[in-house]
Amino acid sequence: MIDPLIHAALLMTTPILLAAIGGLVNRVGGIVNIGLESMMLTGALVAVIVSADTGSVVLALLAALVAGGIVGLLMSLVVTRLAANEIIVGLGFSVAVAGLVRFLLKSVYGVSGTFNPPGVVMLPRIDIPVIADVPILGAILSGQDPLTWFAWAMVPVTAFVLARTRLGLRLRAAGSAEMTARALGLDPLASRDASTVFAGAMSGLAGAHLSIGVVGLFNEGITGGRGFIALAAFYFGRNRPWRTALGALLFGFFEALQIRLQGRGVPAELVQMLPYLIVILVLTGLGLANRRRSGSSS
Amino acid sequence: MIRAALANLAAAALPFVLALAIGAIVLAVTGHDPLSVYALMASEAFGGTRRIAATLTATTPLLLTGLATAIAFRAGVFNVGVEGCFYLGGLAAATLGFWLVGWPAIAIIPVALLAGALIGGAWMVAPATLKVRLGVDEVVTTLMLNFIAVNLTSWLVNGPLLARGSANSATPAIEKTAELPRLLPPSTLHLGFIISLALVILYGFWDRFTVTGFRSRLVGLNARFCRAVGIDVPSLLFRMMILSGLIGGLAGAIHALGLVHRFVAGFSPGYGFTGIAVALLGRNSALGMILAALVFGALASSGATIQLFSDVPIEIVEVLQGTVMIFAVAKLGLLLRDRRGLA
Repeated sequence: MIDPLIHAALLMTTPILLAAIGGLVNRVGGIVNIGLESMMLTGALVAVIVSADTGSVVLALLAALVAGGIVGLLMSLVVTRLAANEIIVGLGFSVAVAGLVRFLLKSVYGVSGTFNPPGVVMLPRIDIPVIADVPILGAILSGQDPLTWFAWAMVPVTAFVLARTRLGLRLRAAGSAEMTARALGLDPLASRDASTVFAGAMSGLAGAHLSIGVVGLFNEGITGGRGFIALAAFYFGRNRPWRTALGALLFGFFEALQIRLQGRGVPAELVQMLPYLIVILVLTGLGLANRRRSGSSS
Repeated sequence: MIRAALANLAAAALPFVLALAIGAIVLAVTGHDPLSVYALMASEAFGGTRRIAATLTATTPLLLTGLATAIAFRAGVFNVGVEGCFYLGGLAAATLGFWLVGWPAIAIIPVALLAGALIGGAWMVAPATLKVRLGVDEVVTTLMLNFIAVNLTSWLVNGPLLARGSANSATPAIEKTAELPRLLPPSTLHLGFIISLALVILYGFWDRFTVTGFRSRLVGLNARFCRAVGIDVPSLLFRMMILSGLIGGLAGAIHALGLVHRFVAGFSPGYGFTGIAVALLGRNSALGMILAALVFGALASSGATIQLFSDVPIEIVEVLQGTVMIFAVAKLGLLLRDRRGLA
């Protein structure tokens, strides 16, 4: 009873976590990325096409990563080089890419909504003998796909890189002290672009996880607002990788729970509201804490 | 003077021209002839009274979502939550529209419109309070509230407010008396267009000739200066955000009573977000926003019919809308300056 729920929760967490890590790095670099959803959608479509064409999961993932990164780069260049407001550009990308994807599906593949080419190869599952039979632990560790392992491995890696390496320091400088970074001869805009490309690549993988990791086809609504849930996750995590992962896990759990509760009297719509509500509550709590701190110091 | 105005117009039209260019590339790559597609779209949007009426119908919600966005943006508040207000206002008006059985039109229409506006305004109280009291970023809260509003209304029309015997998520149809009168039957153009247009024009006067209008613009330009000269900035921001919500709610209410005549799940195909593009492209000015809303209205109404007469999918309209949004905020002049810098 509990094992399938745990397994489903982790499966639902993976795309949110991947995109959230990308968005977190992007935000540390100085851009709030509202366009994650568009990069996810691109990755999901590209992964299905390449997987069906080549039969190779590795190539499919690589293509999704590159495609997401390209969308990220385009968005970043508009923001950093043309001084455009990142929120509006992000929303614009969400609208334009969603339209473009559906346009191409109809125009090139002659399908509407769902694209299910023959021969899509799915992500493999990694079963771990012995552990697989242990209750709970088996559900957590065994039978997961490589992207899930990758997503969780990226949490400590991101934490380490941001906190302890030169690369991380430069990125943080680009985000919070642009002028200082420039004065030191660094190129904060380039760091910022790199962080958006990273966010795009991670979101592309997140999309690939949805399309060739979970369902094995592409649907225009496949991302279902997960790019915005990922945004909620890194706001929940206040730019800390582990806390962001916790947020992603929480939202993944809600999603799994909501699927289980369907047809049992709990309206799905109300459960789907929870991540967004939690973010507002977290921001409220933060605001209150800030006010108390500044109130006591003055 | 005229040259300056023309230069302004050219600068404002540039994002749209660039979007058309990108749309043309997409069309050409997928084997369509961009020029004939655009020509067909233009004739579908403006060729004849009926087509113009359809375009004006599609323009109606955008006038008000653009206005709602502009009122917040010009005061320096990044309210991206008009979409949520639109949903809630639409649901409130539609619900009263079928509940108040037997009310005469003169009573039911104002009450339903007012209710829609009020709920939109009330929806903005939380993010406005959070912003002015606790300094919580309104972009995130209003964006999140959109998803909450969409889910909340879709739960209501799937459960408590679902029309009896209806399989799809919709409320019952509103009373005949609650429907806004049609202006040019048999076209769907309704009184809401006049109301919306009047409000945008009213906004133009408010913007130019009133103290509050001036002050709220000033706050958007330089909040520190305003604080220094004694303008109560937090209170002004709060009021502008609520006003933005009121108008967003009214937009939804008008859409429900004027066109849809009920509330359905997926009530808005992103009118709130297109409103952002309208406000940006129109540079928050009344005339600019009317033109921008007309452009997007034309895109929407022609997109719906080119699909019938050609094999071009309607989604080309979304591609154009999104790219207009992107280019509307990009400082395109920097492109030229960079090149000069390199040379």
